[in-house]
Amino acid sequence: MTDLAVETDGLCRRFGKLEAVRSVHLRVEAGQFFGFLGPNGAGKSTTINMLTGLLEPTAGRIRILGLDLGSNPVDVKSQIGVVPEGLALFDRLTGPEYLLFAGRMYGLDRVTAAERARELLDFMGLADRAKSLIVDYSHGMKKKLAMAAAVIHGPKVLFLDEPFEGVDAIAAGTLKAMLNRMIARGATIFLTSHVLEIVERLCSHVAIIRRGELVAQGSIDELRSGVSARRDDGQKISLEQIFLEIVGGERTAVPELSWLE
Amino acid sequence: MTLVPDRQEQLRLVGWLRWRLFVNSLRTGRGKAELVSKVILNIGIVVVVLVLGPLLGVGSWYAISHGKSLILSGEIWFVFLVWLLLPLLITGFGAESDPASLLRFPLRYSTFVLLAFAHGFFDPVAVAALYWLLAMLAGMAVASPSVLLWAIPGLAALALVSLLLNRAIFAWLSRWLAQRRTREILGAVFILFMLSFQLTGPLAGRYGKHALPLATRLASAGRLLPPGMAATAITAGRAGHAGSAGAEFAGLLAYCAVLGWLLSLRLRAEYRGENLSEARRETSSGPSTVRAGWNVAGLSPTVAALLEKDLRYLIRNSTAYFTLLAPVLVIVVLGLGHGGAHARQSGFLRSSSVFFPLSVGYVMLILIGLAYNNLGLDGPGLPMLFAAPIRFRDVLVAKNLLHTMVVLAQVLAVSALGWFVVGPAPPLVVAVTLSGALMVLLTNLTVGNLVSLYFPRKLNFGQMRRQQGSGLAVAVSMGTQALLGGLIASMYFLSRWAGHLAWCGVAFLMLAGAAWVAYHHVLDLASGIAWKRREALMTELSRPG
Repeated sequence: MTDLAVETDGLCRRFGKLEAVRSVHLRVEAGQFFGFLGPNGAGKSTTINMLTGLLEPTAGRIRILGLDLGSNPVDVKSQIGVVPEGLALFDRLTGPEYLLFAGRMYGLDRVTAAERARELLDFMGLADRAKSLIVDYSHGMKKKLAMAAAVIHGPKVLFLDEPFEGVDAIAAGTLKAMLNRMIARGATIFLTSHVLEIVERLCSHVAIIRRGELVAQGSIDELRSGVSARRDDGQKISLEQIFLEIVGGERTAVPELSWLE
Repeated sequence: MTLVPDRQEQLRLVGWLRWRLFVNSLRTGRGKAELVSKVILNIGIVVVVLVLGPLLGVGSWYAISHGKSLILSGEIWFVFLVWLLLPLLITGFGAESDPASLLRFPLRYSTFVLLAFAHGFFDPVAVAALYWLLAMLAGMAVASPSVLLWAIPGLAALALVSLLLNRAIFAWLSRWLAQRRTREILGAVFILFMLSFQLTGPLAGRYGKHALPLATRLASAGRLLPPGMAATAITAGRAGHAGSAGAEFAGLLAYCAVLGWLLSLRLRAEYRGENLSEARRETSSGPSTVRAGWNVAGLSPTVAALLEKDLRYLIRNSTAYFTLLAPVLVIVVLGLGHGGAHARQSGFLRSSSVFFPLSVGYVMLILIGLAYNNLGLDGPGLPMLFAAPIRFRDVLVAKNLLHTMVVLAQVLAVSALGWFVVGPAPPLVVAVTLSGALMVLLTNLTVGNLVSLYFPRKLNFGQMRRQQGSGLAVAVSMGTQALLGGLIASMYFLSRWAGHLAWCGVAFLMLAGAAWVAYHHVLDLASGIAWKRREALMTELSRPG
């Protein structure tokens, strides 16, 4: 039997009358590079917040690495790393100070945290800004720092909410290198992204959520063959085409805007 | 192409926006409770403002009907200074929406200017000042209707000067506070100003006789300032000296022109879209310096790391320095006022038995408010604390430890100062005072932790304005202080009546013990409360803007 890194059953989240996430059953195997896709407002961030303990589900069960998140939040959190939507940085610390703080929050001793912080700053190309406060960092630098803080304790599962949003090609390259190293050492990565080219290049498996419901899940090849079966042109289908077919199928004919004609 | 709405329509839209924001803030139970608590907290102030109106009206009536120009001048100065100084002194608590946030829309410059003025006119202090000026006009009208010929334009011009001055000061303050370097300079100037202001009394006491001629000359120069001009315009007009009254009125208009020009410099810069964000400081490149974090004996690594983080935040928050330095500065001033060693013989505050408890009480009163919103500055990073495998009680323990360290340092500082100024306090007084302080600290930390979790309010790092705490938190804090104050006073007087001051100390220690038990109980609950309320906490504290 394959080990599951992330498993949800009937995951729901309501905000008043709005049902943001509806009965989501996710299965992410250990070691997978998993992309969680969906249009704006589909429920991606809500789901990732629930998976990382930042948001309480209205109903349903979450198991991370076989542990129930509801009953073992601290045990689960010690084995995962998170880069949430807003990055969650204490921006009046310097980069090294923040990494040290993050390392110690995840139970590393002072010396190990300092050593890893130093290595991560070098890897991310932030060493020359070690004395600057985070508030003075550019957006890309903040993303790299948030990523460094999320991996400093060597998590088994890494959750990333839009890690490539607003990041230039150089910073994105660094982040991708980091993620590939994580995968190489057996970690599981669960990311949301709007940049489908990057997801297609990095991820082996994806799930697609639309209006709070999971509408597709599997390897990219499985989804591709599913869509190919509905098409007859024989061309290789990109993830973007798969995505539009599954999510935006009903809106392929874009309505006209009378005042723009 | 769409048509840009005219000024009237834009103002109507902005008014509608403000109204909807207000109405929407009442959607939640907490929003309604906030409004109710603000109303209750401000009832006393409203009563004072309302009562002062008729008093000022009667004063003006008396001044005009009996030819007492000094009374009229004094009243006008009072209104002017309240309008000018009160908004500055309460700046840390005032909430003001920013018209610049609307500049993404095709806002006309004239609308932008009018909005800036509207913010000035709808300021509660401005409303009170305008009400007082109207009351004064009514009083003058009763005394002599003809005086209104000069009183109406005179006071109207004064109101315009006050409004322009108020707006200009805030516009320039915002400019200087927006950047770290100028903010630090301004903070230092503000502290020096407050210190100098506090020194006025002691210096006047010591050198008053020698300074009297200078003070008289300065007071006469006050006639050249707007309140003096307004008063002179009215009294000269009443005496039939139209030329003199007209000259004073023209002087007021000249003030308006200069202040309007100064204000327009800022408003035009804002309208053009100046960028006042923190200038990025490039640091010298070189090898990164990563030192191992703190290792504090007796503290878990988690609490030590949190304490280190909080202390770094405190050190880097230059606007917090005033709050932290204020108690010591005031005690220094009180000490100087008593002439150091010469003051040991007699007098109420000159007794170390009074000076020490009062100093410690003042320190507690000023610093204790910080405990009621102790997550306020953690906003953007808060999700990280929830994502990390820690108990939230550790977060609160670290904050409480830092708070206790700050209080302890200040108590030690004022004790040393008291020793130097009025001599050592009797050991019994020291023991009773410290046991009372312990009780107050533990009670406030206990209540403050709960309030911080239930009524948090985001604070913007390094800003003085728009740092309004939750009304509910302020109400709970005031209630707690009133309760503790009553308890301390009654126990003190009871023990004095019984002739055993030590009983008071024992009672304080017993209550401190009870507070310690309650503190631990709240800490045990805190992780669960924070976990359950994490969504609300992050929504309130981590939202951008």
